[in-house]
Amino acid sequence: MYRKQVRRRRAVLVLLIVLALVMISATFSQSSSGPFHSVQQGIASVFAPLEDGASRALKPARDLVNWVSETFNARGENSSLKTDVQKLRSKLARTQSALGENDQLKKLLGLDRQGTFADYKMVTTRVVGASPTVWYSTVTIDAGSGDGVAVNDPVVSPDGLIGRVTDTTHFTSKVTLITDSQSSASARVQPNGPQGVVEPEAGDPSTMLLDFIDKSEAIHEGQMVVTAGWTNGSLSSFYPPGIPIGEVKDTTVGQQETYQNVHITPYADMRDLDYVQVATQGPKRPGVGG
Amino acid sequence: MIVTWRIGLRIAVIIVVTVLLQVSFFSYLSLFGTTPNIIPLVAVSLGLLGGAMVGAVCGFILGLVLDSVLLATLGISSLTLLAVGYLSGRYREGTQISNTLMPPILIGTLTSAAAAAFSAFQLMLGVETQVSLLVLREILVQGLLAFLLAIPFYPLIRRVLRPAIVDDVVAGRQMRTPIKSGSNRPRRGLSRRRVPRVRRATGLSS
Repeated sequence: MYRKQVRRRRAVLVLLIVLALVMISATFSQSSSGPFHSVQQGIASVFAPLEDGASRALKPARDLVNWVSETFNARGENSSLKTDVQKLRSKLARTQSALGENDQLKKLLGLDRQGTFADYKMVTTRVVGASPTVWYSTVTIDAGSGDGVAVNDPVVSPDGLIGRVTDTTHFTSKVTLITDSQSSASARVQPNGPQGVVEPEAGDPSTMLLDFIDKSEAIHEGQMVVTAGWTNGSLSSFYPPGIPIGEVKDTTVGQQETYQNVHITPYADMRDLDYVQVATQGPKRPGVGG
Repeated sequence: MIVTWRIGLRIAVIIVVTVLLQVSFFSYLSLFGTTPNIIPLVAVSLGLLGGAMVGAVCGFILGLVLDSVLLATLGISSLTLLAVGYLSGRYREGTQISNTLMPPILIGTLTSAAAAAFSAFQLMLGVETQVSLLVLREILVQGLLAFLLAIPFYPLIRRVLRPAIVDDVVAGRQMRTPIKSGSNRPRRGLSRRRVPRVRRATGLSS
């Protein structure tokens, strides 16, 4: 009897391990219409209304805990912000004169101001779920293919770029954040700076790395980094040009290296996303499926 | 643990509530620079209360539901949580847990182990970007947070599953029917219906 029970237990354990391994390999090898993906989408669809309800119900508690945590951090931030305000005041004076000059030049050239997302239909939605690990920086949003959201649509928050849609169900979509270990985006340092590739540092969601910047290029702390919207005719970046990503934190150069490491602090707080906008039905970008 | 249909239903509710709490609440919190993860905590707790098979099966299902809800790579969480659920169950089957601090310590340790295993899987599957040393901090702090969260959560799960836990059923019977010399009848005035019934096991018993 005991031996039979042990045998049965081992069989169940082996079955579960084999099933898990099959699921891993199927996820990598299967197309998005495969049976495992269909099951996954089915479960996600069932959970979508529950997630939405739980997210709404738990928001006050979430905000309370984060408020306590942020209050502790605010004391340290206060002094550094005072220094920033002084620097920004002098920058503001210079920017205001540049803006006036810019308006005059635009009028002279006959160009109307066009927003980055002028050709897109923006879908505003709520974030209803987030991944618990630093390896998958993904969030689930409350809009899916039924709302016109498609795979590879860029997603922004009021602060800047947060990522792109990588999977959809009818009611929800998965957004892979720019801090995910599989993400990268072509980016440009403003104003008129060099172009590189923004990648995350796996394990540290508060810092990103701007790679492929020649070490002879002068990059300064505080410079803005925006999406470059790179394209070469048959291939293009997932993101249109001009979406703010973050600002330069510091740069390091290794002696034997051709490129410098430019560290960036993303503008958007990926841990505290509430409402986001998905840029849908935009102009076709070569090489980007949707 | 004696797993009847009613207990199976309770376990299913625990799994659903755990996943919803994680993706809608805990994933948004930032404590000591990391996010608390209650998924391994619940898998280990179920293993400690129900034994190796219950721990493994519940760990697998927890991982499957979590990966499905997040539309993440299927199987990695299932494999990791299956392992920690099974290990905690094996520990429970081989050792008498008498110290009340033992479950939180085990939960903290196995949560760190799960985070480390998860990171190892990710590295094996290929990460093209630089890996920060903060991953190590994440692994350790998640264990610490799991230890702290286990102090209220483990007794709560134990309370929900109380009718199925063999130790509690036996202890409850002994409390209600004290053995008197010369008599094995229950005390007068104590209804028979108040003694928890142990139903037919569905196969997952320990």
